[in-house]
Amino acid sequence: MSASAAAEPRFAAAARWISTGARLVLGGVFIVAGALKVIDPQSSVAAVRAYRLLPSSLETMVGWGLPFAEIALGLLLLAGIATRVVAVATAILLLVFIFAVASAWVRGLSIDCGCFGGGGEVAPGQTAYGAELLRDVGLLLLALWLVWQPRSRLALDGFGNARDQPHGERRSRESGAMNEA
Amino acid sequence: MTSPKNMNARERARLAAEQAAARKRDQRILIAAIAAFVVVVVAGGILFQAWRTNRSPAAAPSTSASASPVTISNGQPLVLGSAEAPTTITLYEDFHCPHCAEFEEEFGPVITQAQESGAARVELYPMSFIDEGSVTAANAMACAAEAGFGQAYYLGLFANHTLQWSDPQLIDLATKAGGSPSEAFKTCVTRKAHADWVSSMNAAADKNSVVQTPTMLINGKPVDIANLTPESLKAMIASASRR
Repeated sequence: MSASAAAEPRFAAAARWISTGARLVLGGVFIVAGALKVIDPQSSVAAVRAYRLLPSSLETMVGWGLPFAEIALGLLLLAGIATRVVAVATAILLLVFIFAVASAWVRGLSIDCGCFGGGGEVAPGQTAYGAELLRDVGLLLLALWLVWQPRSRLALDGFGNARDQPHGERRSRESGAMNEA
Repeated sequence: MTSPKNMNARERARLAAEQAAARKRDQRILIAAIAAFVVVVVAGGILFQAWRTNRSPAAAPSTSASASPVTISNGQPLVLGSAEAPTTITLYEDFHCPHCAEFEEEFGPVITQAQESGAARVELYPMSFIDEGSVTAANAMACAAEAGFGQAYYLGLFANHTLQWSDPQLIDLATKAGGSPSEAFKTCVTRKAHADWVSSMNAAADKNSVVQTPTMLINGKPVDIANLTPESLKAMIASASRR
């Protein structure tokens, strides 16, 4: 025993704290972004409509439902449940956001991304596509980090992220993580 | 006869395979549970928003501001308050614009008070660019002003700004803002009697280079809403009325 367990590689220890930070930042941002949109259902639908990507029958559903999906993913990230699976879903959602904002930019629309509530048309000089995309790409990197390094401190995670560990060790980690949380 | 060693090896392999299968099954269950959780939250959220935007409006704040009927003519704003008031407050607002609702919450009482005291009247340009509800609300606002309860209706529209503004909701609001609505008012709402006027408001805002809502002018001079407080607005109205 011991050799691998005792001298845990430094990288792994640091990675777990980095992953904790990534979970908290990503989860916090998603919850805030979702909550700000939930407050104002009309604006949320209007923000979706401004992208001119969906048929009108879907705009209302997405405008009402998407903020709750963000909150659900945010809560799972904060709790650290099945981090890898949730991180994959988060990354996919962020890719959709990046695609939508980039397509609005390319098509020459003048809209606010509505990422944190608001949204809709803005004056042509008032767009901030570059900054919006940069922020989304930053968040995407955090999500991809979590796909790569899903194990983290202060997480409820039991498995789904420990397949590569020997069984006995995984057990102890699991209970350890439970206790910490 | 198999040796114990062999049995152990086979046993171990069998155990490992069992554990691997159990782990795989657990993981599938976890993924399904997470997917179910997200689906339930999203579906619940959609139902919640549907309820929130379709329920009937709450009572409108009461007001004693003048209730004289106004005439609706294309391109002309609704005038709410005394015609003799020394100060004119011009407002460009969309009944579904969130910043307009915030503006109303913060500054509405000061403006209403100025209307009630006869210090100011409001020239209202209801714009409609957020959604269909902006249009139906703007039309109903004109119907209400025409029927003489525009001021109370205006306050009611903003007090209930999360509603989607279907015809029944707009008629229901009239009951709460101006007593039982006449047949003429109901027809005005359901037939969108002032649809042309509503689009003329957007055109008028364009012509007057209004690029955002809410936009406020006092005696024709634009007010910087970002740096406004209820106190400074009060002072502005008072000094405008003295001139």
